[in-house]
Amino acid sequence: MLRYIIRRLLYALLILVSVSLVTFVLFYASSSPQQVARRNLSAKNPTPQQIEEWIHQHGYDKPRWQQFQEHMSQLFLLRFGKSDANGEDIWERIGSGAPASLLLATIAFFGSLLVTISLALAIASFRGTYIDGWGTFLCVLMMSIVYLVYIIAGQFLLGKLLKIFPLAGYQSGVQAWKFVMLPAVVSIVGGLGATVRLYRTFFLDEINQDYVRTARAKGVSEWAILFRHVLKNAAIPILTTTAAAIPTLFLGSLLGESFFNIPGLGSYLRDAIDSQDFAVVRAMVFLGTITTIIGYLLTDISYTLVDPRVRLE
Amino acid sequence: MRRKYHTRKLLVRGIFPGTLTALLLLTLTGCNNNPYPAGETAQSIIYSAISDDPKTLDPSIGYDVASSSIIDNIYPSYMQYNYLKRDPFVVELSLGAEEPKRERVAVTITEDGTTTTTEGERWTFRIKKGLRFQDDPCFPDGKGREILAADFLYTFRRLADPAVPCPIIQYFDDKVLGMAAYRAHNAALLKHQKPSDYTFPIRGLETDPDPYTFHITLSQPYPQLRYLMAMHFTTPLAHEAVERYGKELARHPVGSGAFVLAEYTPKGRIVLVKNPNFRADYYPTEGAPGDREAGLLEAAGQRLPLAEKIQLTIVREGITNWNLFLQGYQDFAGVSQENFQQVMSRAGQLSPEMTQRGLRLHSEVGLDIYYFAFNMDDPTFGGLSEPNRKLRQAISLAIDSQTLIDLLHQGLGQRAESLLPPGLFGYDAHFHNPYRQYDPSLTRAKQLLAEAGYPQGIDPKTGQRLTLFWDNALITPAGRVQIGLIARQIAALGIRLESRAWRYPVFQDRVDTGQFQFMNYGWVADYPDPENFVFLLYGPYKRPAANASNYNNPDYNRLFEQMRAMDDGPERLALIRQMREIAMQDCPWIYINHSESYGLTQPWLKNYKPHPIALDTMKYIGVDGAMRTHLQQKWNQPNYWLLLGIVLLVCLGSLPAVQVVRARHNRHVRRPSAGTV
Amino acid sequence: MTTLFPLLQNVLPLVIVALVVWVVVHARQQPLWAEAYRRLARNPLAMMALGVICLYGLITVLDSLQWRDTTTEEPKTVLDRLFAHVPQERTYSAPLATMTTGEPQLHAVQGWHLLGTDGNGKDVLYQALKGCRTAMIIGGFTSLLVTPLALLFGMSAGYFGRRVDDAVQYTYTVLSSIPDILLLIALLLVFGHGLDKLCYALGITSWVGLCRLVRGETLKHREREYVRAARALGVSPLRILARHILPNLLPLVIISITLGFSGLVLAESILSYLGIGVEAGTGSWGNMIDAARLELAREPVVWWNLAAASTALFLIVLAFNLFGDALRDALDPRLRST
Repeated sequence: MLRYIIRRLLYALLILVSVSLVTFVLFYASSSPQQVARRNLSAKNPTPQQIEEWIHQHGYDKPRWQQFQEHMSQLFLLRFGKSDANGEDIWERIGSGAPASLLLATIAFFGSLLVTISLALAIASFRGTYIDGWGTFLCVLMMSIVYLVYIIAGQFLLGKLLKIFPLAGYQSGVQAWKFVMLPAVVSIVGGLGATVRLYRTFFLDEINQDYVRTARAKGVSEWAILFRHVLKNAAIPILTTTAAAIPTLFLGSLLGESFFNIPGLGSYLRDAIDSQDFAVVRAMVFLGTITTIIGYLLTDISYTLVDPRVRLE
Repeated sequence: MRRKYHTRKLLVRGIFPGTLTALLLLTLTGCNNNPYPAGETAQSIIYSAISDDPKTLDPSIGYDVASSSIIDNIYPSYMQYNYLKRDPFVVELSLGAEEPKRERVAVTITEDGTTTTTEGERWTFRIKKGLRFQDDPCFPDGKGREILAADFLYTFRRLADPAVPCPIIQYFDDKVLGMAAYRAHNAALLKHQKPSDYTFPIRGLETDPDPYTFHITLSQPYPQLRYLMAMHFTTPLAHEAVERYGKELARHPVGSGAFVLAEYTPKGRIVLVKNPNFRADYYPTEGAPGDREAGLLEAAGQRLPLAEKIQLTIVREGITNWNLFLQGYQDFAGVSQENFQQVMSRAGQLSPEMTQRGLRLHSEVGLDIYYFAFNMDDPTFGGLSEPNRKLRQAISLAIDSQTLIDLLHQGLGQRAESLLPPGLFGYDAHFHNPYRQYDPSLTRAKQLLAEAGYPQGIDPKTGQRLTLFWDNALITPAGRVQIGLIARQIAALGIRLESRAWRYPVFQDRVDTGQFQFMNYGWVADYPDPENFVFLLYGPYKRPAANASNYNNPDYNRLFEQMRAMDDGPERLALIRQMREIAMQDCPWIYINHSESYGLTQPWLKNYKPHPIALDTMKYIGVDGAMRTHLQQKWNQPNYWLLLGIVLLVCLGSLPAVQVVRARHNRHVRRPSAGTV
Repeated sequence: MTTLFPLLQNVLPLVIVALVVWVVVHARQQPLWAEAYRRLARNPLAMMALGVICLYGLITVLDSLQWRDTTTEEPKTVLDRLFAHVPQERTYSAPLATMTTGEPQLHAVQGWHLLGTDGNGKDVLYQALKGCRTAMIIGGFTSLLVTPLALLFGMSAGYFGRRVDDAVQYTYTVLSSIPDILLLIALLLVFGHGLDKLCYALGITSWVGLCRLVRGETLKHREREYVRAARALGVSPLRILARHILPNLLPLVIISITLGFSGLVLAESILSYLGIGVEAGTGSWGNMIDAARLELAREPVVWWNLAAASTALFLIVLAFNLFGDALRDALDPRLRST
């Protein structure tokens, strides 16, 4: 097991190097340093001198290979440097934004897991009835609605009409959960469609297995079958799909956070896109890649724990 | 065995879901939509919103409204604008002890070996005694020290430091004696990445034996220096703070104003609290006509600031702020397209719904001008030749300002006939610019177009329609509506308008490098003097300085040089009128409008009067906390019934299916009793 | 030469339609496909979905055929001409309303607008229909880019194994380690605006999924008896791939494209909303939703823009989802989701 982990980590390192090469080629091959400097100076008419100073301060005038060297060392030492837009330390900002994103993502993740598994289990247990047919159709319908509409409708309904949750904003500390509820609810509802349908497939696959028929014949109650046998066995395919959700734990919802004014990593990235702040986007891509790789590694390891048939080589 | 099974069944079936529902109900009752901690809203706090993080809180650099609205409340200057007086605006003493004295002196300037003597001006400033900086760790034992004249001079040195990108340095660097040399010296140091030298002498900045007095000597008379002393750029800076914080001063202000920065959460909020070291400053005892009736003199004579705290939340969207305002969680809101019909019953009148809530409407007239500008270096549309002049005049006649104002600004704003906005010396309400009167039939416009050599908009050389490229920064959907409007108006002449929308920094880059034929811009006054507007067309200030269209008419330039330092009076007025005539005929710009906007404030906010230039006005605002708590509760009763209704509906709807499944279970369960397995 | 290009531009959509029709008719001769068609025909929901897809396709074709008008300089498409008689108003107006809304003084509306008008007074139905072409091109062109790439890499990795397999796996692991949305943002920030650039960026992020699938299937089929026999007989790998393995992959590929189509169209709308999608002038539902978001906050509410764009988007995405599901069930009962 240990050897496997080490081998995977080395492979992961290789991947990271390639990813940073890709980002370097992407970012340093685009807009002129003058334009980047212009945007980031507050003056109405910055002088060419001020522009040159800014370019020099941010290191956009060094030769390419030197830039790449710095780029690589910076990324791997997690010294992301300063944002192009406002010169603030990127790592510091990530640190201050992470708790909010983490809170939102954790609530959304576990809430979504709870809701989708319950719904999928319910639909699976009601199989063959009108609930199954309409439920699946409803899932396809919900899958086809753009996430944007969920956000807009969610804010309108829950914040404005029902007045249950604050419209927007955020405050760290004990109060934080109040602000995170609305975006979390919107995130859960928006992701229901595809996931419920998928999990329903997993559950139905299990329900049609021989061992379930045997258990039923032996007199085990339907609820016990569902919760004790089906759920546990369907956990493996569910685990695979949830691994893909791990990067979102840190990156937050790009759209949701900026719409609901939550100062997390998602809205930080959104602002970086708006201001074409490549330093920040570069840092987020790197961070996202690391979390994805770790996520896949953890998933593979957890397979051995959950399914004794799986052996990692 | 059975009992254990039964108890487990009871737990799983009964108690577990029971506690879950109990928890859910509990959380729901705790839910309300109040974004602030309980009890906070009863205090003397002003809740305001800004749409984005301020770019910087460094007073030498911050220029945009978001940054300035915070900087001005932390950093006061020698002068300040009187809160209540308008028409004209009054600049009064803030940190200064007496009005600055001006005297004409002869100055000798040695440049490249030649020595010239001109008539310059020497200003004398004397500040109040006992002024203190705010408490900050950069001072020994954390206590703010007394402000001295040297601190003001230190600020000027910092403004002139090339490492500090001061946006208004061009107002002084050609006037203060010795500043150019200082800048050159420090620019050379910067090139070699050495720290700036603040000890390099500047002739024009002199200390005085009296530590509270300083002098500034200029190479030409410049009465507008008085206004510049009211801008936050000239606030006194503590060298201890600059030396300790360096670039971090942008996040860590050390000022001497009514408020100090207590908290700054990027993308979250900014909290300012009352400054215990603030000097004795009092609410004005007299104002403009009508202020007493409006209740704006109730707080006369009270010690400032009136509020304890200001909380600025970053709210990106206008709608969100408007909704928060309606719920009572924000104290200010703007009137825009989104809420116009809900707020106003007629232009200038608050709708009954809003009046019932006790909201107050404020009209804010901006000291600004929004315009289209031609690139005067362009061969087709620029230059001072007769045909091109007629071409520009024709296009000017095709653009209907009133439609733009109606559709884009809900009819708010005043059509601009000339550069100067209302409220400024030299503004003439009865002036009619013949090239800004819109006639739907476009007869005169088409005639001018034909005279210019483009009958019906067709370029005789190519046989195609004349194309005008319009560079702008209107990338938002609302901006696209504006593009559509203008394109339609110009198409009526027969000319094709090609719009190129860029992100703002790219757009600015193009304007500064002259890569445009036609563009639109706005200018908001830095100070209430006509010189601050007419200088935008002064030839020598060509791009990348303020005269972006590179308009250069020698007659205009000559008149400008005469009127710039004059005092307001009939002579100055005559010169301004002549300049207006010249600019009108040459038509380098098409004037669109001067802005007018409405703002709303909550009934518990007192003494609010918007000022078009001054942003240090938070100290005059008072809050009635009890009224706020009461009204917030009244306006925000949560509505659980809809939610309960939905839950009930779902339960009822699934009942038939539950029956079906029950039947299925019973079928399965019955079989084992028929035999043993 | 300059007159030839517009002619070519008009011929292209017709050629594509003809090609699709030919493929569909020709496939009927294969037993697998004939059976699939029969199953599909019996599914009313699938037929309705197919109808919707064909309708959108028709609108796209109508919006692609263009030629110059004598009065204006810009070429106008058939769709433009159909809506040419619909006048442009001053500003917003509600569906089938007689007066404009959202201005201090209301003016009379000059034409008949089924779905109302937007901020510039342009007909909303017309704009929604204009968005069809963008959506179909994004789905179609991206799939066209993705499929050969994924097939090439997937089949070579699955068939040739070892070094080739390692190389291909490494490539797509690198690409899939970067979260999709981040890679899209990075690519689009660099490429800039534009329909074609969006297609390239979406292509780069979506080929990995299909490639993995193709690789897995190729591995499976490689060990089949008939393929082993062909290899033993010394048939060249290219021939094996083309004649034996590829036809078996086709159903999978087609299902994957159909189901992926909806994802691509949704992605475009979100990217346009973020400001990094198609250019502002191109008709696109994402741009309409972006504009409509602020309009919902107005008093009176301007809801028709958002409703039109989201409904148009919803219908085509739903159609592709339903049709893709039905196709999957019809082609391979083993892949069925019960």
